[in-house]
Amino acid sequence: MNLELSLFSILLVPFAAAGLALIHQGLGRSRSAAHAMLATLCALAVSAIVFVLFGSAWAGSVGAATHSFTAGGAHWDWLGAAPFFARGISFDGADAAGLSRSLVLCLELFAVGLAAIIPLSAGADRWRLGPICLSSALLGAVTFPIFAHWVWGAGWLSQLGANFGIPNFTDAGGAGAIQVVGGLTALSVAWIAGPRRGKYSDDGIPAAIPGHNIVQVLFGCLLALVGWIGLDAAASILFYGAGLQQVVGVAINAMLSASAGCLAAVSITRSRYHKPDASLSANGWIAGLVAGSASCAMISPVAAIVIGLVAGVLVTTMIEVFELRLRVDDPGGAVSVHALAAIWGLIALGLFGHFSQGTRGGHLLAQLVGISALLGFMLPLIHAGNLLLNRLSTYRVDDDGHWQGMDIRELGAGAYPEFVIHADEFVPR
Amino acid sequence: MKLVACVLLLSGFFLVLTALVLLTSIEQRSAFVVAGFAVEALGLSLLTQSYRTMRREHR
Repeated sequence: MNLELSLFSILLVPFAAAGLALIHQGLGRSRSAAHAMLATLCALAVSAIVFVLFGSAWAGSVGAATHSFTAGGAHWDWLGAAPFFARGISFDGADAAGLSRSLVLCLELFAVGLAAIIPLSAGADRWRLGPICLSSALLGAVTFPIFAHWVWGAGWLSQLGANFGIPNFTDAGGAGAIQVVGGLTALSVAWIAGPRRGKYSDDGIPAAIPGHNIVQVLFGCLLALVGWIGLDAAASILFYGAGLQQVVGVAINAMLSASAGCLAAVSITRSRYHKPDASLSANGWIAGLVAGSASCAMISPVAAIVIGLVAGVLVTTMIEVFELRLRVDDPGGAVSVHALAAIWGLIALGLFGHFSQGTRGGHLLAQLVGISALLGFMLPLIHAGNLLLNRLSTYRVDDDGHWQGMDIRELGAGAYPEFVIHADEFVPR
Repeated sequence: MKLVACVLLLSGFFLVLTALVLLTSIEQRSAFVVAGFAVEALGLSLLTQSYRTMRREHR
C-alpha cells in the first residue's frame, strides 16, 4: 500500500470542505453569510472532536475489535469496539498496522467534517448555531461512524461475500458513508427547520431567493475538485488497496464526471431558460464529483462521463421537484446534489464497474443492499436523532431572526456592514 | 404518520436482510430486494407527505 501517496491525498481533503463552505455561503443570503461560514467552522470542529473521542471507536478499522453476533448462519459485524479517545491508535511509527490505522483516522476525521457541513446548505438562513453543533455531534459520534464501520471497518456490508455469497458492497470514495449520510441529514434538517420565511406564498407558490455571491460558488467548485480528487484517491488506497496507476485514473475520472455533470446542467438550464443558470451548473459540477466518487478507481473514463451526465440531469430535475412539488426548501440543493447523486453513483458502480470477481448482477445486488441500508436504517436513525435534538434546542430561528438575518440575530453584526445591498435585509421593517 | 413512515422504512430494510438470509438464488434475492425498496419508497413518500400536510396546516 502506498502510504505516502495516501497521506498526500488525505491532506487535499480539506479543500473539499473549503469548496463546499464557499458554495453554501454564496448560495445563501448576504444577511446570513458570516453565520454560514462560522457554522461551517463549528460543524467541522465539533464533528472532528466528537469523532476522535467517540466516533472513531465505533467506526473501527480492519483488524480492530468489533461488536458482532451470529444470526441466520451469518456473522453480523455491526459496530466497532475499539477503545474510546483513539487510545487504540499509536502515532510513534512503531509498526505498519499502526501507521495504516492512523491514516484511516486522519481520513475519516476530514470525511466526517465534510459530511457534517453538507446539511448546513439545507438549513441555510434559519438553522441556529447551537443546534448545528448538536447535530454535528450526532453525526460525528453516531451516524457517520456506524455506516463507515459497515463499509470501511470490516462491517457486515463489506462481508456480504463471506456471509451470503454475493460481492461486497463497494464505496471507494465515500459516496455512501459521507455524501448520502450528509445528504439524508440535510433532508431531515430541511423538514424539521421548515421553509424560509417568504419562500412559499399562502397558495404554496415558491418564490425565487437567489444566492448572494455566485463568484464564490463557482470558485468553491474549483476548490472542491482538488479536495474530491484527494478524498477519492485516499479512500481508494486505504480501503481498496488502489495502486499508483489507479490513483491516476481516479483523478481523471473525477475531472470527467464533474465536467459532464456541469455541462449537462448548463445545457439543460440553457434549453429551459435560454441562458445557463450558474448556481444549478455549479450544483451539476458537485453532483458529478459526488456520483463519480463511489466508483472512482473502478470505471473507465467513458463511464465517468456517463455517470456525470446522468448526475447533472438528475440534479437539475430533482432540485425543482423538491422545491416545487415536495415543498422542501433546500437553498443549496444539498439533498439532490449529495444524497441523490451519491445513490446514483452507488448504483452506477454496479452497472459500469470493472471487477475481477463476481457477476455484474451480483455487484448490482450488493450495491442495492447498501442503498437499502442507507434509506431503511440510516434515514430513520438520522431523523429520529435530529427530531430529538430539535426538542432539546429548537432548530428554527424565531420570527425576529427571520427578518434580521442570521448574522445580526446570532452574531450581532453583518458580514458586509459597509456594503448594504438590500436595505430591507438589515433595517427593521 | 411520521412514526408509521419510519416503521415502513425499517420494514423495507429488514425485508432486504431477510432475503439475503433466507434465499439463495440471485433472481429471488433481487425480487425481494426490489420489494424492500418499494416498501422503503412508501415510507419515504409518507414521511414527505406528513411534512407537507404539517406545513399546510401551519399556514
